[in-house]
Order: sequence, then C-alpha cells, then structure tokens
Amino acid sequence: MRDADLKALTGLCAKCGTCRTVCTLYPERKAEIAVARGKIALIDAAMSGEDNDADAVQEALTDCLLCGRCERACPNQVLVEEIVMKGRADLAEEVGIPAWKRVLFGKVMTSPAATGIARKAAAAGQRLLPGKIPTASGLHYRFPDGLGGEGRTVPKLPAKGFLESLGKGEAATGEVMLFVGCVFDHVFPEVGRASYETVKASGRSVAVFRDAACCGLPAMVSGDRRSATECAEANVRRLRAAEPGAIVFPCGSCLLMFKRNVFSLIPKGDPLYDDAVFVANHAVDYASFLLSSGVLDRLPEPSPVEKVGEIGYHDPCHLSGTLGKGPEAREVLSRAVGPAFAEMAGADLCCAYGGTFNMRDYSTSARIGENKVTAAVRGGTKVISTACSGCALQMRDMAARTDPSVRVVHIAELVHQALFRK
Amino acid sequence: MHAEALSALGNLFGDRLRTSLETRICYSFDATGKKFLPDAVVYPVNAEDVRQTVLLANFHRFPVVPRGAGSGFSGGSLPVQGGVVLSTERMDRIISIDTENLYAVVEPGVVTETLKLEARKRGLFYPPDPASLKFSTVGGNIAECAGGMCAVKYGVTRDYVLGLEAVLGTGELLRTGVATAKGVVGYDLTRMIVGSEGTLGIVTRATLRLIPLPEAAATLLALFHENRRSAETVNAIVAARVTPSAMELMDRTAIDCVQALMPVQLPEGTGSALLLEVDGAEGQVAREANLLTEVCHAHGAIEVRRASDAPGREELWKLRRSISPALRRVAPVKLNEDIVVPRSRLADMFAFLSDLSDRRNVRIVTFGHAGDGNIHVNIMVSGTDADEARRAEEAVAEVFHKTVEMGGTISGEHGVGISKAPFLEMEVGPLGVAVMKRLKACFDPNGILNPGKIFLDEAAVRV
Repeated sequence: MRDADLKALTGLCAKCGTCRTVCTLYPERKAEIAVARGKIALIDAAMSGEDNDADAVQEALTDCLLCGRCERACPNQVLVEEIVMKGRADLAEEVGIPAWKRVLFGKVMTSPAATGIARKAAAAGQRLLPGKIPTASGLHYRFPDGLGGEGRTVPKLPAKGFLESLGKGEAATGEVMLFVGCVFDHVFPEVGRASYETVKASGRSVAVFRDAACCGLPAMVSGDRRSATECAEANVRRLRAAEPGAIVFPCGSCLLMFKRNVFSLIPKGDPLYDDAVFVANHAVDYASFLLSSGVLDRLPEPSPVEKVGEIGYHDPCHLSGTLGKGPEAREVLSRAVGPAFAEMAGADLCCAYGGTFNMRDYSTSARIGENKVTAAVRGGTKVISTACSGCALQMRDMAARTDPSVRVVHIAELVHQALFRK
Repeated sequence: MHAEALSALGNLFGDRLRTSLETRICYSFDATGKKFLPDAVVYPVNAEDVRQTVLLANFHRFPVVPRGAGSGFSGGSLPVQGGVVLSTERMDRIISIDTENLYAVVEPGVVTETLKLEARKRGLFYPPDPASLKFSTVGGNIAECAGGMCAVKYGVTRDYVLGLEAVLGTGELLRTGVATAKGVVGYDLTRMIVGSEGTLGIVTRATLRLIPLPEAAATLLALFHENRRSAETVNAIVAARVTPSAMELMDRTAIDCVQALMPVQLPEGTGSALLLEVDGAEGQVAREANLLTEVCHAHGAIEVRRASDAPGREELWKLRRSISPALRRVAPVKLNEDIVVPRSRLADMFAFLSDLSDRRNVRIVTFGHAGDGNIHVNIMVSGTDADEARRAEEAVAEVFHKTVEMGGTISGEHGVGISKAPFLEMEVGPLGVAVMKRLKACFDPNGILNPGKIFLDEAAVRV
C-alpha cells in the first residue's frame, strides 16, 4: 500500500474501542477484526510492511458494511469510511478486482445503454428461474440454494425501465434535474416515476438526467478506483453542462457519492474539481427538495389509506447518518401521511445491505436485515418506507423472507399517493 | 509457540482459534498505543474453555493473556511475551439479576454499560463507571479494579465484587466470595483477584453487588480561570459536607481539545473546569446543586451551568468522556498516568506539574477525578523525537516520586501493567514486592498467566 494520505487519517485512531459499541457487524463477528479499530491497525500494518498479505488484508477490509456508525461515534472523528475505501482501493491495485466486478463496474455501469441491456437480459433470464413466491409488493423470485445464498429473493425485473417509459422529448430539459439512479430506473421504476411526478408537482420544470452513468459508489466501495472515477467524471461533466438549479436524488447513496465521496476521486487541483463542487452544492436529497419546494403545502389532509402508526421510516445510513437528513424525511412523511407515520423500532440501525457485502456474505447480511424487519413488525410497523436504493433492495428481500405482508416503499411513493389520490 | 500446542488448541477451539497474522495484529494493541504480537487468539465461550486453555499452557508452557475489550491504559492485556490472547468477548451473558438480594451474576465479557442498563431497568444501580464504560468489559474492570467518575461517592469496582469464579494459573477453577451482603470466612481471595491484572486468575464469572438507583441527579459544569481555583473548590465542597457523585476536573488543554471536536461555547479566560454531579432524592438533589453553585461562585467560578434532565446531563458528560481519545489530536503518544494524592494536596500537585512542564520542556495535560485526588497526568509526546521521549520519561519518574512523597499512590485505577512496573517497588517497598511474588507463585506456579506484568524483572521495557 502506498497512499500517503492514509497515514495521516489512521494516525488519529487512539484505539480506544468506541467503535466496538456501534459497529453493525460486531455483534455477528464478536472479533476485533470486524471493527474500525482492528481494520485501521491492519491498514497500518499493511502500510508499514508488517503484513504483506494484501489478499488477507483486503478480505478483512471487505468485511465491512461502510454504514459509518463508528465514524459518527468516534470521539476523534476518525474518517473510517474514507480510510476503508482508500485501503480497499490501494490494495485492489495489488490484488486486483474480481472479474465479475470488473465487468460490472467498468463496462456495464459506466454506460446507461449497457445498463439497460443488462437489465433486459437479466429480466429474460429471470423467467427461467424456478420457485416464484408471491409477496405483497409484486412478484419476487426466490433463488435456488447455492445460487447466491439461502432463500434470497430478488424483485421481478420490469420489462421497461423508468427512463424508457418517458415519452420522446419528455422531461428532456428543465431547471431541476432528477438523478434517478440505476435501481430506481431499472429495478423499481415505480419509484423513479413517483419521484419524477412529485418533483414536477412543485411547479418547476424538471429534466430527468438521461445520460447518467452509475453514481460510481458500488465501484468505489469495491476499491475499483478507475471505474468509480470514470463514472464520477462522466456524471460531473454532464451535470455541470446542464446548468441545473438543483439536482434531486431519490437515493441517499447516490447523493453521498456526489456530496462527499466524489472529492476523493476528483480532489482539489483536478481540472474537474470546480465542476464537482458545483454539483455537490446543487445536489439535494428528495425530502429536502420537497420541503423547500412548497409542494406539500398543497396537501389538504394526510392520506387516510394507512392506519395510525403503520408507516415507519428506515434510516439509510448514508442519508440519515453521514448526511444527517433523517429529520427531513420524517417531516415529509408526517406531512404526507400524517398520523399513519410513527417512529419505527430500530429505525436507525443499518439494514446490512452494504452493496456488494450482501453478495459476498448473504447469510450475515440477511440475519441482520431480518432482525431489523422483525423488530419493526413487532413494534407495529406494516409499511417500511425509506429513501435509498440499497436499503430498498434489502428491506424488500428481508420482508419477503420474514413477513411478506410488510410493504416496502420509497417515501416518494407515499407522497405521490397523497398528492394524486382520487 | 510450538506447533503441537497450536494443534491442541485447534482441537479444543476449532474456528474459535485464530492464528492468522491479521487477527493477531488486531489483538496486539490496547489504548496505550503499544503493540506486541500474540502467537494466537482464542475465543472461549465458557469456563471449561478457559480451564482447558490454561491446562494446555501448563503442559506446553505458553503464556495466556486474558483480554476484555483491550481498552486499558497500563498494558494489562498486551501479550508482551507472545503466547495466546484469551479474549472474553464471547462470554458476554448476564446470567441473572437478583432483585431481592441485590446482586447480578455475569460473565466477564459483559460490557459494563450493558450491565448498568439492565440494572437500571429494574430500578437498580451498578455504580462503577470508568470513562470507557460503553465498551470496556466487567472482566477487564475487575482485573484492573477500574474506578470512574462516581468513585468519589460510590467507590470502585472492588467495592461491588461479592464473589468470583476464576481459573487459576494451575487450571483449577476457584469459587470465592459470597452472594450475600456480608461474608468473612477465611482470607479475602475475592479481593486478592480483583485488581490482580490477570496474573493470578482469569475471571469466568462474577457476582456483583447492586444498589437502589438514586431517584434524581443534577450535573453542573463550573468554569474557572485556573486549576488552582478548581482544586480549592473541590476542598471547599468537601468542607461544606456535600458528597457529589462526581467531581471531575479538566485543564485548559483538555478543554481546548474537546472544544475542537464539539460545538461548546465557553467564556473567555476559561482555564479549568469542574464537572460536578449530585444524586439522591429529588429535593435533596436540588438543595445540594444550589449549594454547590454557591460554593463554586464563592471560589471564583466564571460561570456555572446546570442540567437536570438526561439529555442535558449527557451533553455535559460527553465533554468529559471525550477528553482521553481526543488528546490524540495534541500528540500521537500520551503517557497517561493516573496518580492519586490526598485531596488537600491537589493544588500543590498542580503547581508542581506546571513547574515540571516548564523545567523539562514537556507538554502536560491534566484532567480526572479531582474529588478522589485522582488526577490523570498526560505527558504528550510526538513519538518521533528521542530527546523529547527521554525528557518525558524523566518527567514521569518525577511525577511518581512526588506523588509517593505527598502520601499518594502511582495508580488509582489503571493498574501497574507494564507502564508502572519500574515504579512498583518505590511505592510498596521490597518486602511488598516479595510478598506479592510469593502470592503469585501460589496462584500461578508456572508463570502462565499474563507474564511480564506488574513486576519489573520480567517486564517489557516501556515503549
């Protein structure tokens, strides 16, 4: 490992142990190697040459959800997320990126056309999968054992993505830019649609960002710095050129990428740095945009569809934790659904999706996620709302596994329902 | 370590034995910043695992170093001679809480705060509260006899340990102490093990005294121009016959450090702060808080803030708890010494430290449990300057000599570990050391348990 910046960052860790108290994985692993303090010690050992087994260190660094809970609890404000991502990227240069990730991040996710083709291919492939199970939120497929974990369910992919459903020339230009994100375009196009319609209801002209590359977060957290940079640069360039007044993100993880993570890919001094700053300054989470737009003022009364206290909110780590946008989402919910919204048990606990973590260690991811849904249901929640694509994928899978009557929705869908109910 | 010993451990622990370099690195440190690689790490889940480990260690002659959360400040859990780190983090069950007889039975890996919260749910109180309570374990607290903020009123870990189950250095499982309010049968082996830093036995179960939870509490933050004023105030409070449940002092550097990390506005000229807490019955708390405010003002407080609700109190406490790790921002290495002097000599100690800092040209940050006369003296060093390191070592030695000369002790709550081993004899005398060694031989004849700790002749050199 060679990154000189890393040393300055890891040097602040006093090895006090506070990270042990909040780590999402620690209760599962019960070993020091799971927590930030251990990982930082390993990065230091890799940098000093004490540990030259890059594969083994990478393996340890990969066993992390990047939920950031340790970073927020740390009395020294050690930037754990950045440290782990930098560590992974440095080590990836030594050990390489797994082939499937290389193709996914480097070839597919950098191009909107390729992502569309990939979804179509996957949707076609799904029809061959056995073992459909019905859930309240449409059809899910259950993976056969040994093909991605015990009992994993995946959403039935739609024939058409959200972007494809737009008419020719529809939402092509506008003062507000909507960054839908891969998942809300290709997997849950209804979320893309609900976000678009509700943002449009603000009365401002809305353009949907069509030639978006993946936000780059999946590549970045996997240590694939090159693909992540490609994604980030392409997006920043195109977003800057569009001169939007605001860029609205229905997905908290995409937002984090442009608010914060982008600066370790496009740092000060980079020719694109000023453009990245422009994008960061204009990037806003869906809930904050809605509150500032005044669209919710038009709601006569909260929607009577759900019963009192049935709708909960799951805090996405990146959005509520790192970016501190928990109150805004709750405000939107209270305005949209009134007393149907109530604080969910364990709302701020990580769902343990962790992007590629879920693919790497499905059983751990599922155990933590199931606990979350079980606690929520026990507390009376019947609809789990959230505002992040990773969380949405995970919570739907976990609901399908534990209690298929639980609905998982994006807050935009509830707002849409409230605004446009007949 | 011999391959044979490792394979025997493997038979015993399966995948709960880890020998990868990565795991060993993760168990090579504690909060001292020092580092010693173990040969292996085991994760026992019950007393039998611990017993078998120690039996194997006697057969193959390898060191066994018990470790809770690795948050100690004296190196108690560092494997200075290699061997096996025995991590108690998977022995983390609260076995029972007896609400009639007021005690809890717990495994050593229970995090101190978890026990406190469980007791609280039942209207009970487990007082020991080291600053690390959110992550340090009961087992580690017992091994080091951890103190904390409320020791001034409630005492330290030792005062709450009624009985223990521990694996001795021979591999025998000793049960000692009582589960009753009193007990004087034979020698007090329980107290013998408390504070013995894992050198006499490995605690596998503890019976801990609980007391009724005080009804109310109030926290005050009093700001002064200098430490001398704070020290005088502490003595004035005692003279006023109030026993606060905490009297914590922070000097200017400690305050600055925490301020850099937290949005707290303090008045111009703040050079020292006292965090005070009173607890008890509702009316009494209000009365005492008023009295403390008066005493503080009478002794030159610039400002006194008060919080009576839980979130407000937690805000004030967060200031205090964050100091220790935050000092990392002043300098990467801190020699954290937890000396105790008679309370009446506090002001003299502060004067001495200020003079010492100038004379030796070292940066000293002080904070801690002023109500106990227990001051954390932190000598801050860069870790890269050899001359500075030497000056710091000399300063530490001076602090210890002065402490003993004042009638104090060189460790109030961190233990000797490796950090204070060179000074053990200075405080307890040659006979004291000799008797301690005879006892050690009696509990652990082969020197299996945590070798290199407390006693200098086997100790690793200070890093």
